[in-house]
Amino acid sequence: MESRKVPVVVFIGQPNSGKSTLFNSLAGPKAETSNFPGTSIKHTHSRVKIGGRLLDVVDLPGTYSLCPSDPAERVALTHLFSERPDLVINVVDASVLGRSLELSLELIELAYPLVIALNMVDVAERKGIQVNPASLGEALGVPVVPTIARHGRGVKELLDEAFAVLDRGQKLRPPLWAGDVEDKISEMEGTLGADFPAVSNRRFTAVKLIETGGMGCGEFLGEINPALKEALLRIRKELEDRRNIPAYEVIAAERHHLAMKLSEESSRVLHGKQTTWDIKVDAVMMHPVAGYLIMALVFIAFFLIIFKVGGPLESLLLGPFLRFKTVLAARLGNGLLFYLAEGLLQGIGGGVAIVLPYFVPLLFLMSALEDLGYLARAGFLLDTFLHRIGLHGKSISPFILGFGCNVPAVMATRILESERDRILTSLLIPFIPCSARTTIILALVAAYLGPFWALGFYGVNILLVAFLGWVISLFLKEPSPGLILEIPSLKWPSLRNVLQKTWIQLFAFVKFAWPLLIAGSIILSLLSYFGANRVINDILAPLVVNGLGLPRALGVTLIFGFLRKELSLIMMLQALGVDYRNLLSVVTREQIVVFTVFVSFFIPCLSTFAILWKEIGRKWALVSAGLSVTVAVVLSWLVRLVL
Amino acid sequence: MTLLEAPVNTPLRIKDLLGGEGVRRRLLPLGFHRDDLIRVDSRALFRGPVLVWNLTSCTKVALGRGVAQKIIVETNHGEP
Repeated sequence: MESRKVPVVVFIGQPNSGKSTLFNSLAGPKAETSNFPGTSIKHTHSRVKIGGRLLDVVDLPGTYSLCPSDPAERVALTHLFSERPDLVINVVDASVLGRSLELSLELIELAYPLVIALNMVDVAERKGIQVNPASLGEALGVPVVPTIARHGRGVKELLDEAFAVLDRGQKLRPPLWAGDVEDKISEMEGTLGADFPAVSNRRFTAVKLIETGGMGCGEFLGEINPALKEALLRIRKELEDRRNIPAYEVIAAERHHLAMKLSEESSRVLHGKQTTWDIKVDAVMMHPVAGYLIMALVFIAFFLIIFKVGGPLESLLLGPFLRFKTVLAARLGNGLLFYLAEGLLQGIGGGVAIVLPYFVPLLFLMSALEDLGYLARAGFLLDTFLHRIGLHGKSISPFILGFGCNVPAVMATRILESERDRILTSLLIPFIPCSARTTIILALVAAYLGPFWALGFYGVNILLVAFLGWVISLFLKEPSPGLILEIPSLKWPSLRNVLQKTWIQLFAFVKFAWPLLIAGSIILSLLSYFGANRVINDILAPLVVNGLGLPRALGVTLIFGFLRKELSLIMMLQALGVDYRNLLSVVTREQIVVFTVFVSFFIPCLSTFAILWKEIGRKWALVSAGLSVTVAVVLSWLVRLVL
Repeated sequence: MTLLEAPVNTPLRIKDLLGGEGVRRRLLPLGFHRDDLIRVDSRALFRGPVLVWNLTSCTKVALGRGVAQKIIVETNHGEP
């Protein structure tokens, strides 16, 4: 098409259509994918060279329609309307073709150049449906390419088709609806003045105006063009009177019927209802009683595996670092150079040997559970409990993401429709033990008091989240809009996909955290060389020594806990001047628990605080920080009393 | 009857969607249209959500009790 600029290619699809997976296999591992509706909330924009051509590819958050109902969908649409892409690739889940085509029909109305990737044809066939891409393509007037994104199948053909459309352009004809509806659309189109700022084309704009009426895109209308607003209201009223349902439902029903018709005409039923493995497994997983037992087992296994893998790996990796430190001490003596080298070594060693052994298995298992589709199921099972704390099942996705890292978890609250739910969930997320805190819990509580203490810690932690949710929801009276959550079909996780996702998250973590870890470690070494940490410890002594009953030297480590939680652990060893294996020679088991409790809760780490500020505003970020400090002081004091 | 009172594992036809525009706008694109066939697969314990299988669009959706109360259905005997 145009050779002077890089073509913009936008990926759009309904949640769970495999859009991000397809995007990854085309553009490399840039977008995070998962089997939970609406998890790719931050859209990824990347310039890539595919098939020898430079493209600007954008992966939009999943959206069910072009009328947004939550902020994540709003991101998708604002982007689509403002970007005017050169090509739209619509990823369609072949196993729920009828419903997915409703979005495709809207995209055809929008009339940007379009190619449809008919994804998950394997899942559809397992369900007994075979879709004929050629006849579907002919009916829609759009190229349709069958793909199985998880196995990278059909990707090359999709690219060929995409390039062909980019090169030769495309003329789309919007599908026609029932005569009475078409009449009203034409009438609306006629009322739009020549200078009306139409999105893409006049018909699409007319349809959207009728659909949205007083909401969303239509809001501004009354102010800029009262006559048009009046005509719009009249046309909507006439349509509503004729069909006896609201105007937006008239349009939705037209699309729905057309999509169902197209889906029936282009698919063939292979076999009658068959009970496939996923249906059998699902029936057990979602069983009102067995479901909860399985969920408990899944989560216990989840943490035991992490501990069983992480523990030995940690001691294996830690050995060489300790030996190297002894060598350094012998060579460099006790001067500034030694302190610098020691700080550097502690930082690197902490990152490699203490954090990674637990963090990597956690990310891996999380990705596998997400890919399997288990998170949405956990959301269904836990909805009733989340109701008790004023939330609903959709919050489970941000919460479970929070066990990995609080930052993406706070961002994921955008999938929640109401602001109240977003604030409440965001306030609770900092109390979810993220992987950094899990590392501390495992490395201190599990290692020195046993794995069941660590599980107990987790249990108390979750009760605390529930209690806080209940308390906060007393102040946020507005009711929650309730759960509407699609349960995706179970998919056997693909190793490639899971590894890819683990790698993306790990890379982001290493890039962000390691410089902080190493710099923090060196600074602490220097502070102790110049004796400045004593001043900080003196200032914090009333809290650390009198309040919590901990060694005075630990005061300074709390400062670093604000940067990243696991820094506190590494700094703890540094500050106490012992290596990990000899920790019990300077602190008691009780002190370890108190320290872990305090460090876990006392403040959201710097990056969580920053994201809270950005997502729910300064006021709530400060509320969150205040809440954390209060909870940490009260709880660790209580723990000290009890133990 | 509302979806909350409907029998489990029985084909149901959607008669009406109550509630505000917000809820209906969220239900429509998920395949809850008037005259669609749905089936309640299971109900979670302790007054939990209902799991609904949409026979028309072949999708599974979890609906909270508040939302399920807004969907009016009738049993659809004789249809699969």
